[in-house]
Amino acid sequence: MAAQKIETRSDYGYFLSLQTRWMDNDLYGHVNNVTYYSYFDTVVNYFLIEKGGLDIHNAPVIGVVVESHCNYARSVAYPDLIDCGLRVGHLGNTSVRYEVGIFRNGEAEACAAGHFIHVFVERDTNKPVSIPAPIRTAFETILAGGAA
Amino acid sequence: MSDYLSWRIADFPFQKTIPTRWGDNDMLGHLNNVVYNRMIETVVVGFTMGPLEINWQEAPSYPLVVESLCRFHRPLSFPETVTAGLRAGRVGGTSVTYEIALFGEGHQMPASTGHFVHVFIDRETHRSVSIPEAIRARIEMHGIRRQA
Repeated sequence: MAAQKIETRSDYGYFLSLQTRWMDNDLYGHVNNVTYYSYFDTVVNYFLIEKGGLDIHNAPVIGVVVESHCNYARSVAYPDLIDCGLRVGHLGNTSVRYEVGIFRNGEAEACAAGHFIHVFVERDTNKPVSIPAPIRTAFETILAGGAA
Repeated sequence: MSDYLSWRIADFPFQKTIPTRWGDNDMLGHLNNVVYNRMIETVVVGFTMGPLEINWQEAPSYPLVVESLCRFHRPLSFPETVTAGLRAGRVGGTSVTYEIALFGEGHQMPASTGHFVHVFIDRETHRSVSIPEAIRARIEMHGIRRQA
């Protein structure tokens, strides 16, 4: 396996703290791998709501996921408290690549890191459209310098 | 991109049908992205317990996920039944990459494609170990492309 770059808190511009839950742990006694994607989902949508003003019930333009990826370096387990770090790795016209790091109990280095790509589409037609201006402005505040 | 869309269920030597549930749909009316990853995990676990005959609780070495990726090509929705296909991709010394696709009912093109990487871990030392020979042979029987 190629060594992964170790992600640290300073690599991310936005954070959401979450309490892990009993049901997040699987038979191995750690947070199940799939559950990390629900953390990704949660921080991304919370950012869109809080910073981009997204109305998840009525917005005419919504983000749909076209790719998600995660590298698992060290395990998280309930009852850890986690911080989900978020940055924008690439900002296109209709799509955005979010990069997420999962940090455990105040630690500096991420336990897991991955990405999540949204394409923005018209809710009614499912056709890709430009990212709405307030959301784009929010993305620019957490755009990674020179990241792919 | 188009390469992934050409994947067909017949290309996958291990298959598993997975029913969807009401709660798998999110507020956009499709399976939430996390559920696709759950299905990918389900076909991988089915493969390890079926053809690979791994006893997760007792085997001296066990597989641990270190990376997963999912591409979303087309929405899946409750109540359709999904057919998941798995084949061995790269088989390394201590790790294996499974290639996976999810197919919706009545569709030849995959709704989703991705991969899932397992590293074999020694239960005593918690370090990565060579894939046991018997398991490696069974994995290789399920491959389409191999680069050792």
